[in-house]
Amino acid sequence: MKLVVYLRRRMLGLAALLVLPALGLVAAPALAAETLNAYSIWPENWARPMFEEFEKATGIKVNFVRFSSGEALARVIAEKNNPRVDVLFGGPVETFAAGVTEGVFEPYKPASFAKLAPRFRQADGQWTAIADDPLVFMTNDKFLKEKGLKAPASWNDLLNPAYKDSLQMADARTSGTAVTRIFSILEVNGRDENKAFAYMKKLRPNVQLYTKSGGGGTLPVGLGQAGGGIFFIVDALDTKAKGYEVSISFPSEGIGSAAEGIALIKGAKNPELGKKLIDWATSPAMQNQFAKYKINFVPAHPDVAVEPSLAAILKGAKIFPIDADYAGANRKKVVDRWIAEILNP
Amino acid sequence: MTAGSRLRDDPALAVSVAVLWLLLGLFVVYPLAMLFARVFWDQSGFTLAGIATVLTDRHQIRAFYNSLLLALLVGVIGTLLGFLFAFTATRCRLPRLLVSAIDVAVLLPLVSPPFTTAIGWIFSFGPRGLITNGLLGIKGVSVYGLWSTLGAEALTYFPIAYLALRPILAAIDSNIEGMAQSLGATRWRVFRTVTLPLSVPGLANAFLLLFAASLADFATPLILAGNQFPVLPTQAYLQITGLFDFRGGAVLSFTLLVPALIVFVLQRYWVGQRHYVTVTGKGAGQVPFDSVAPGMRWLLVAACVAVTVFIAYLYALLLYASLVVALGANHAFTLQHYKVIFTEGLKPIRDTLFIAAFATPLGGIYGVLLGYLVARKLFPGRRTMELVSMINYALPGTIVGIAYLIAFNDPPLVLTGTALLIVACYVFRYGPTGIRTTIALLQQIDKSLEEASQGLGAGTGTTFRRVTLPLIMPAFFAGLGVVFIRSMTAISATIFLVSIGWTLITVKILENITELALGPAAAFSVLVVVIVFVVIAAIGRVLRLLRAPGAPVTSFLGA
Repeated sequence: MKLVVYLRRRMLGLAALLVLPALGLVAAPALAAETLNAYSIWPENWARPMFEEFEKATGIKVNFVRFSSGEALARVIAEKNNPRVDVLFGGPVETFAAGVTEGVFEPYKPASFAKLAPRFRQADGQWTAIADDPLVFMTNDKFLKEKGLKAPASWNDLLNPAYKDSLQMADARTSGTAVTRIFSILEVNGRDENKAFAYMKKLRPNVQLYTKSGGGGTLPVGLGQAGGGIFFIVDALDTKAKGYEVSISFPSEGIGSAAEGIALIKGAKNPELGKKLIDWATSPAMQNQFAKYKINFVPAHPDVAVEPSLAAILKGAKIFPIDADYAGANRKKVVDRWIAEILNP
Repeated sequence: MTAGSRLRDDPALAVSVAVLWLLLGLFVVYPLAMLFARVFWDQSGFTLAGIATVLTDRHQIRAFYNSLLLALLVGVIGTLLGFLFAFTATRCRLPRLLVSAIDVAVLLPLVSPPFTTAIGWIFSFGPRGLITNGLLGIKGVSVYGLWSTLGAEALTYFPIAYLALRPILAAIDSNIEGMAQSLGATRWRVFRTVTLPLSVPGLANAFLLLFAASLADFATPLILAGNQFPVLPTQAYLQITGLFDFRGGAVLSFTLLVPALIVFVLQRYWVGQRHYVTVTGKGAGQVPFDSVAPGMRWLLVAACVAVTVFIAYLYALLLYASLVVALGANHAFTLQHYKVIFTEGLKPIRDTLFIAAFATPLGGIYGVLLGYLVARKLFPGRRTMELVSMINYALPGTIVGIAYLIAFNDPPLVLTGTALLIVACYVFRYGPTGIRTTIALLQQIDKSLEEASQGLGAGTGTTFRRVTLPLIMPAFFAGLGVVFIRSMTAISATIFLVSIGWTLITVKILENITELALGPAAAFSVLVVVIVFVVIAAIGRVLRLLRAPGAPVTSFLGA
């Protein structure tokens, strides 16, 4: 074999061996001096601006990854003996209540604790609310017009056969939105499980898809691929803001609202930094930023005013809080029953 | 000289074998053993209760049945599509431009994350789908279920069949077909009695590859199957990520093991051992055989073009979605989504490239080394080693991912959350392509070359480095190509291994698509396709440089 050819062959191989890992090293993430780790249940487009504001205010960088509430909670529980994150950020209160049952949180009462309404804080400080998030019905305008329907104004309106195979809502295996929805139905039915499940069974034929994420159905509804669904108001208003023609309505029987929480993880590696984030997130410092970033959560802190256009939508709606203790105690049972009777009838 | 004494006489060989066994034990055997343990043991000892719950739960049985049905249909339809393309490409004397267009369209699904087709599909069909409603005016069709999942998977995976069948059809000596015709057979009869029988092993191989690919895919069903058509990989995924029920997920994935192993064994011992190729030397000039009638030729070309256009449409839609504010609502041009992925999405991009940068060379070296040892050296258990090295490759990604999660989440080896685990997953799952290519290549190279080197006093290491390595460089680069593509696009195994420290672009795309962020999902997908195209084009160049004239074309995309 010719020497030149041989050398060329070897050099190419060697070059590849050396260059590829070097490329990788250059691309290796650099870690800031003060960094705390968090699982965010809020989608990235809302969590990121908040964390960036936090970094601006305190110089502490938040390294985070986003999971649906079920996934995030499951991970925190699985990592109990060796926690990977300091803070669980965002997500409906029933998720946090379930976490309390599992003993994964470290109690901490932030500066705003005393000012918050009792439903916005766990008595021992295991979690504190950063926002409030009501569920809504969201329907596609064209769909309504075609079927000659009005935006649903009662839970029973959704049972109309006109909605057959047209609704999308979240899957209770992964999504806290789904769990909040189920507890809303329980509440409307006087916490009578059998009655609530009878309703969900009747609703089942109208459901086209149970989505993995709480907001997963908003795009199909916006596009008209689905007729409507039950979502958190943040997701619904976000869909509307993008330009999709959808209607937002509330049932006359009332619908649940989940406080969105934050909690310090037991055994966190950076508890002091975590506490700083909790202080900041539960105070007006963060919640005053919601309007700026068009995040349509209702602030939990009494000193922060509800953004006027959001207040206008909520006016007259019958909204009740999801009872954290009841939800936390019954979450697993209700989800299991939902899987067995509703998802796989 | 016995195999054992070779090891004693050759320390380099002994060390290599020991290291490889250690790695195989750690990253192939151990996780699988832990999966078995999780399925069959609980606190009280051996139990069949876990398996029994699945086997008696009619929903899980239905999911199992659905998975098999889907895999079967994807296998059949994908193979037919692949054969159509391969036959047209080799028999219809297409213009060069058309062949290139087809090649690109076939390559696209291969180098994209496995659910990109599903994304385009979901916007094209359904009550307000661009095709069903916008183009055809059909109302009230559902996009979720068997047919959509089948369509999307068949389109995603048929290129595998195409790549498996094309060389086989090309290798059939056209003189044989010509002779049959001059003996009075019609074209149809020639096709039926000559061409088709000669491609049977290729067809069977393509079918089995597609069957396995479908069995491993959880992302397409996650997007398209809906609740009426549950399949096992998706159920196992939700069981683990949603409920963190390791045991339940382990049991569900375990039930997939049986069909996966059957397919593997069939492929290996039934199809893999037969050779029907009719090339008997390059003596007689090949007389081009007019195997298709002009009318048929147009029909075949039209069918291929239709599929190609449809694939191009799906990817154009993806590109379009990445460039407008909100698909379906606001079609103003924007680069916002690209801005988003290069700010918010920078970490997964960096992480993915970092992991790929390590997995690619390691996977390449692993493939070449193991392939070389198995093909060239005598040592005890080398057949077993080859077989063990194929396990992670043959099993559906969901099983491998869950096995890794179970094995490395608790002491003694806590590796979950590290980049090392993801790299190891890629090396041992996709390195085997390099192993197979190396073995195939070495079988064509006379052993006397190496024996001469050793006869002159060089040890195993030196001989390997200075004689064999240059000869098997093409296999090395082929291995590199596959590991790189998979490192950029795979999701089924690694979705279980992402963590706060390390996350991947594909996981991010899935996350975005199950949320409402279509724009960033599309932008990420476009980015992946571009990166992979650039890198494989570069590797392809190197491969062409290295190929000796007359050597067979080794496609690094093929299985």
